[in-house]
Amino acid sequence: MSDTPGSGFSRRDALRRGTAATLAAARALSPALFAGCSLGIPPRAKTVNVGLLHSQTGPLAISATGLRDIELHAFEQINAAGGLLGRQIVPHAPDPRSRVDLFPKRARRLLDEGSVAVFGCWTSTSRKAVLPIFEEAKKLLFYSVQYEGNESSPFVVYGGMVPNQQILPALDWLASAAGGLRKKIFLVGSDYVYPRTANFIAKKYLAAKSLKPVGTAYVPLGDRDFSGVVKQIRESGADCVLNTVNGDSNIGLFEALAEAKVDPATVPVVSTSIAEDELRSLLPGHVKGHYAVSCYFQSLDTPANRAWIAGFRREFGHDRVTGDPMEPDWCLVHLWKQAVEKAGSFETEAVRQVFREGLEFAGPGGPVRLDPKTQHTTKFCRIGRIRGDRQFDIVHTSPAPIDPDPYPEIAFPGWSVDWTKGGITRGAEVDIDGDV
Amino acid sequence: MHMFSPESWYWLYDIPHFRLSLLFIGTFVGFYWAGSILLRPILRQFVKSTAGSNDIVGYVLSCFCVFYGLLLGLIAVTAYQNVAEAGANVTREAASLSALYEDVSRYPEPHRQNLRWLLRDYTRYVIKYAWPLQQRGIIPEEGTIRAAAFYDKLLDFEPQTPAEQILHAEVLRQLNEFLEARQMRLLSVKSSLPSSMWYVMILGAILNIAICWLFDMRFITQLLLGGILAAYLGTMMHLIFDMNQPFRGDVSISAEPFEVLYKRMEDE
Repeated sequence: MSDTPGSGFSRRDALRRGTAATLAAARALSPALFAGCSLGIPPRAKTVNVGLLHSQTGPLAISATGLRDIELHAFEQINAAGGLLGRQIVPHAPDPRSRVDLFPKRARRLLDEGSVAVFGCWTSTSRKAVLPIFEEAKKLLFYSVQYEGNESSPFVVYGGMVPNQQILPALDWLASAAGGLRKKIFLVGSDYVYPRTANFIAKKYLAAKSLKPVGTAYVPLGDRDFSGVVKQIRESGADCVLNTVNGDSNIGLFEALAEAKVDPATVPVVSTSIAEDELRSLLPGHVKGHYAVSCYFQSLDTPANRAWIAGFRREFGHDRVTGDPMEPDWCLVHLWKQAVEKAGSFETEAVRQVFREGLEFAGPGGPVRLDPKTQHTTKFCRIGRIRGDRQFDIVHTSPAPIDPDPYPEIAFPGWSVDWTKGGITRGAEVDIDGDV
Repeated sequence: MHMFSPESWYWLYDIPHFRLSLLFIGTFVGFYWAGSILLRPILRQFVKSTAGSNDIVGYVLSCFCVFYGLLLGLIAVTAYQNVAEAGANVTREAASLSALYEDVSRYPEPHRQNLRWLLRDYTRYVIKYAWPLQQRGIIPEEGTIRAAAFYDKLLDFEPQTPAEQILHAEVLRQLNEFLEARQMRLLSVKSSLPSSMWYVMILGAILNIAICWLFDMRFITQLLLGGILAAYLGTMMHLIFDMNQPFRGDVSISAEPFEVLYKRMEDE
């Protein structure tokens, strides 16, 4: 049947020729048009979710935001190098807004959304608030801030200093000739679990040396009115202050000290929670000459540290600073990476098995070892004097990294932890608010 | 997600632009040619015996094309306006951010450094994290946190002099401008043509093609002329589809205004 009479070109002919021509064209052109895959859709990279649980607003933001950024920096580097186990790490960073009641909600959300691990928390109160969630979900929390010890969980990796690595060496230094032979110590802290427990340990330690603090004061977290506290310090005759105040309450403390003309040469303040990031919000005139005790200072002059700082600044700006606990946080991310790579899995139990073998990482502040017994890390103890440029002169460094002891015998007799041999050994109950 | 909803077709945005264009054209031409072979003989039964049928079909097609062309044109303009508006919002947000950065640079320390740093952090987030999410049609959430952090920190500043009071008031005004533009950007991530418009457009294209099948002409001519029309319809559909989502596809709004700003922030 001819389609158009007399044309001599039947519909069937057209179909046959058309089909042949189409197939030939498709065959010739398809490699060029659809090279690699059918439609040229770039394959979407496999991903793995990781949670970052840091306050980005509220009084703790001043400290915690640096942790978020150093973690982002670490994950960006890992992703640029091909990811972890072939997966790109996708960080999720909700904001608990410095509110303890929001931490569990945000932690739950992160785990529900599939985070294989969470890096986060600043205060011990927030850590304790989320702990049951991680234990129930059997997921790992990486906590990089110095804390009071007296806690161990198989689902937490503690990257910060504990009192035997920070506060006790600081007390020793203050009592030494280098520290000015100071023995009249005033303890000031924010009113929550870390300062109270840390001060309890400090009091026990001093008591063992037949010493007693000349005064103790606590202010609510976030409070900035320290006029009464400074009055107490002056009246106590203290020759030094051990400061466990957290967040931007420190602004109020140092303002009040400066207004009361407390001279750092005669009554130095040794702070446990002040690093370079916190100094950004403190006036140099208020803090110059005081001290901080830490495992890391930006002014540490080593090639590894210089390279690390340069890398961070390249990404986040040349006016950014590094400090403790950013450095321990960086080490924790890399210890986790090592563990995942060795385990070949993101599963918590597989990763924890690798922890038991012990892991080491060359951090910017020096070598770090994850202690398999306690899931804490070894630390150098460094004491720095605050300079006018918001940096530290390092005046003391422990001769070697100090092993972690979350239950110092002097404060928690009979208590210990060994995750390679069954976990926590319990001693007698200790009342940290009781008399020492 | 319903298979006929526009969202179910958004995977098409992952196809490189040139290939997607070929896919649209190929689909329309292929549909026309397949119909020419399979449906045309049946449809032509209805008009074959009518004298001057081509004139009638041509008249109907002309009328139809006027309405359909108008519809396509208006929809294309609407889609373009959506893209242009989203682009303007992005530019406005970056400009407000830039003005804020300049203004807070006049604050005393330590506010100056802290506020500048927070704005830089926001800009970095938008470029590195928010934009890739927007390009996948996801509204990025964490920028809100960074904006709130800036707002919080700004309220820490208590002006001490009349000059500082004026500056602070201006910064707060600028901040509101920025927040408004930011919200508009986020809303435009999901903005697209309503489903009903797509149904009307697709139905119109099918009817357009179906009317062409009614023409009485040489088969090869039918394939050629109808193929050209179908190819152009495919091109129009591709154009509208491409502009349907302002942040998706190869042809989409880029983060360039933020990148330029961030580079300046870094250089300072």
